[in-house]
Amino acid sequence: MIDSIVPILIVTLGAGTPLIFAALGELVTEKSGVLNLGVEGMMLVGAVVAFITASNTGSLWLGVGAGLAAGTAIALIFAVLTLTLQANQVAAGLALAIFGAGFSAFVGKGYLGMALQSMPRGAPSLLSGVPLIGPILTELHPLVYLSWLLFAAVSWFLYKSRSGLVLRAAGESPTAAHSIGYPVIRIRYLATLFGGAMAGVAGAYLSLVNAPLWMEGMTAGRGWIALALVVFASWRPARVMLGAYLFGGVTITQFFAQGSGIGFASQAMSTLPYLATIVVLVLISRNLTLIRLNAPVSLGKPFHPDR
Amino acid sequence: MKIVTRREFLKSSGALGVAAAAGSVGDAFGQPPLMVGVVHQFPIGDVGWETQHSLATKAMEAAFPGKLKVTVVTDVQQAQDAERVFRDLAAQGHKLIIGTTFSQMAPMLKVARQLPNTTFECCAAINTLKNMGAYEARNYEATYLGGVLAGRMTKSNVLGWVGAFPIPQVVWRLDGFVLGARSVNPKVTCKVVWINTWSDPAKEKDAVSALISQGADVLAGSPNTPVQGVAAEERGAWSFGNCSDFSKYVKQKQLSGDLLDWSNAYIEAARDVMAGTWKSQSRWRGLGPSGYTKMAPYNSAIPADVLADVQKREKDIIAGKLHPFAGPIKDRDGKQRVAAGAVLPDAELRSINWAVEGVEGAFPKA
Amino acid sequence: MRLTLEPRLAPSARMRWLSPLVAAALTIVTGVILFSALGKNPLLAFHSFFVAPINSLNGLGELAIKASPLVLIALGLAVGFRANVWNIGAEGQLTMGAIVAGGIAIHYDGSGALLLPAMILAGALGGMAWAAIPAVLRTRFNANEILVSLMLTYVAQLVLSYLVHDPWRDPQGFNFPQSPLFPDTALYPILLEGTRLNAGALIPLLAVAAAWVFMRKSFLGYEMRVAGEAEEAARYAGFSATRAIWVGMLAGGAAAGLAGVGEIAGPLGQLLPTVSPGYGFAAIIVAFVGRLHPIGILCAGLLLALLYLGGDAAQIAINLPAAVSGLFQGVLLFYLLGADVLVNYRVRVVREDPHQRRAAAA
Repeated sequence: MIDSIVPILIVTLGAGTPLIFAALGELVTEKSGVLNLGVEGMMLVGAVVAFITASNTGSLWLGVGAGLAAGTAIALIFAVLTLTLQANQVAAGLALAIFGAGFSAFVGKGYLGMALQSMPRGAPSLLSGVPLIGPILTELHPLVYLSWLLFAAVSWFLYKSRSGLVLRAAGESPTAAHSIGYPVIRIRYLATLFGGAMAGVAGAYLSLVNAPLWMEGMTAGRGWIALALVVFASWRPARVMLGAYLFGGVTITQFFAQGSGIGFASQAMSTLPYLATIVVLVLISRNLTLIRLNAPVSLGKPFHPDR
Repeated sequence: MKIVTRREFLKSSGALGVAAAAGSVGDAFGQPPLMVGVVHQFPIGDVGWETQHSLATKAMEAAFPGKLKVTVVTDVQQAQDAERVFRDLAAQGHKLIIGTTFSQMAPMLKVARQLPNTTFECCAAINTLKNMGAYEARNYEATYLGGVLAGRMTKSNVLGWVGAFPIPQVVWRLDGFVLGARSVNPKVTCKVVWINTWSDPAKEKDAVSALISQGADVLAGSPNTPVQGVAAEERGAWSFGNCSDFSKYVKQKQLSGDLLDWSNAYIEAARDVMAGTWKSQSRWRGLGPSGYTKMAPYNSAIPADVLADVQKREKDIIAGKLHPFAGPIKDRDGKQRVAAGAVLPDAELRSINWAVEGVEGAFPKA
Repeated sequence: MRLTLEPRLAPSARMRWLSPLVAAALTIVTGVILFSALGKNPLLAFHSFFVAPINSLNGLGELAIKASPLVLIALGLAVGFRANVWNIGAEGQLTMGAIVAGGIAIHYDGSGALLLPAMILAGALGGMAWAAIPAVLRTRFNANEILVSLMLTYVAQLVLSYLVHDPWRDPQGFNFPQSPLFPDTALYPILLEGTRLNAGALIPLLAVAAAWVFMRKSFLGYEMRVAGEAEEAARYAGFSATRAIWVGMLAGGAAAGLAGVGEIAGPLGQLLPTVSPGYGFAAIIVAFVGRLHPIGILCAGLLLALLYLGGDAAQIAINLPAAVSGLFQGVLLFYLLGADVLVNYRVRVVREDPHQRRAAAA
């Protein structure tokens, strides 16, 4: 059992990584006051573009870059609709999710079922010398490390930098921020594009690392789960990491349970991640004080600079 | 000035389309080409279930150059839509309509009853009609051979199976696999995980990881994609592929695979319909030249004596001398399902939903 | 010289009606451009996609049975959307409705005339029960109903899968995952000989009328509209937010459950591992494109049904790739949101006054 722990940890870290990218991106977006429900769509577009690029260029990092760019581009449509054209954010986010699904299925048609060589894994071998966790470290994928870097960067940006303070002000009290002279709309644009970029990377991870192939709808609800994670985390980056890995763990558990012959119907085990998400949402949301303290006050509300 | 009604426009544009696409119109006897419709549930990928059907379609077209006009419709995922598509195809003159999956059986039965002049064939169907036949593969014969390989190549004596759904089609392959493995290595067990979806590559990969962590070193299952094989290879485990040959993705550690080859079914159906000799049958064939299943190329790392044994068994199966489900067979609860000297009858095999001894994992109640 | 958006004094009623038409037209134009880019003759493609599928009695019948669930669910969802209650889990509620109604059809040993009405009622209740979960979690625990209802969609799907694989499996079905075929008394009677058009298609029509009455004439409908358009005013007037959430979610759930019955007592005739090609999600688009108005929803439902039919028909006729339909749906919604801008804003061309420029330069 002990030597199962290492592989379990590795798989859990792997399952949590796309959620971390998507959720941290959405967290920044929401901190600026914008609610982008279209994460699932952005992840799918990122996944398909990343796959197509990687399969045509042979370079998997180029694929990740392409996924990032695609997510950003798609987020731009959403940003224009909601920030400039003042469309309803919920409706636009749903539209983005639906459009992303249709667009990615269409564009990915010629690439179904092709598998690529998995991305090179593992950090430099000197890390294997690290006691205890050395073997884990060498097995991890570079993007896992990048997700940790992202966490550090986002935390520092939001809570230690001036720009982060401004971004949070745009989300908490846009009118005040505007009157001081901060370009609220521009900040929100940048935050939304960042969210799209991260969702694109998350999608690229799914199609290039996790299982190097493209399948329609392969995100299987992870974008929505990322949205739930942001709430679970009370809009704090550290809790996003925790929630993502917890979720990854729950997803893996069902396979271990089945393999050891636990008698429940396999469908019951498959519902665990979704039920867990609901439970977690309820537990966090019921604490209204916690929500009120942490949720950006103007989340989802359109901001009109001239009114 | 002639006024063209919409109906006439559709007819003429349709006819133009047919003529243009068919190229040469008919054979030496001036017969118009036979219009064949093939309906897929999911999009056609590079490998997988739909791909094998697509290859069969191409083989059919190649066997009768110029005599067929084939329409392929994909991504018809629900039964309600399949019914409409079958009717549309028939209404537009397709005389042979081929279904590619079990879930198309119910809608096809409805349509076939109403259209006695059109011929239907459905893959994996269990009911037939006077104008609707069925074809299915005894791919348990191939997984049995795969099990023999697995039983010899495993070092941990633990095999892993990642299945989509516990339907008979999958269960007979699983049982064949385990029977084959235990026939050469009685200590072998097989852990089974059901992921409840046909296409979630991340889940497949995670399931493989879980199984390998629990000791499995040969993986098999019902994947439509190479993901399982690639994931297994990364962890150093063998895999036995399914459906299509995944070896171009699983470069080193694929032992072999049970390939589906529907060409014979398609070609015979087209040939018989054109000759007017088509009769409804429920064909269930396995290995062999006129069969529907084949072994994928064998991995070069397999020792010569193991390979020779497998190849001999393959010949025996084709000759009818060896039946994977020959008794005595007990299911994993200890109940005897096949007596010594007997063979599991086709009807039971076709609807099999119990696991043989050695299988560990969740199973629906038998 | 540049374009700016100038807020209107009041939302333009005319644009409210025009914008869906603009969006639909833009989608069709985009489609034709796309067809050309794929190398198809645009006129032929347009015909195969938009005209041919409904060019016969059979085709019209197919359009009706495709549009029925879309219109029905959208009407239910619109009740909620108008009050900012976002029921995104209609697909799961449809599945639940189908499960409950299907359960009755399988287990009720009946040849009575009451079977079908019982199924209809049960389906609506089943959908409502599934929608009640996000409602209670939102009103009691403030949990976001979008996420809860969506997660429940996956759960409902797995429940259905379990049922048809195991306890409700057809004993004559060779252990394949499907329920037994329903008795004839459990099926909607066919309305038009030679088509699949069944009596279930009448329910959405009744629902359109009912929704119109509810929205225009009932006080509750008025409350829901105000709650959506002016939250503070609604609160001040004492309109209960809790009631809005319940009414919104349950209306959507009931409609989706009824649509589920429509599928299994209609074209399917049994329970299968999946019973819907995503109607619950497509209905969201129908609701928006229909401007949350019953008549609009009826038209939008027919349009979206045509997009579904066209996708298959065009594959057969001109080999158009299958994924086009899904793409169109997303594009339509985007265009609608864009065109909607013109409801609240006017496009103005601002010319810079040459006198001003000279004065500034001086």
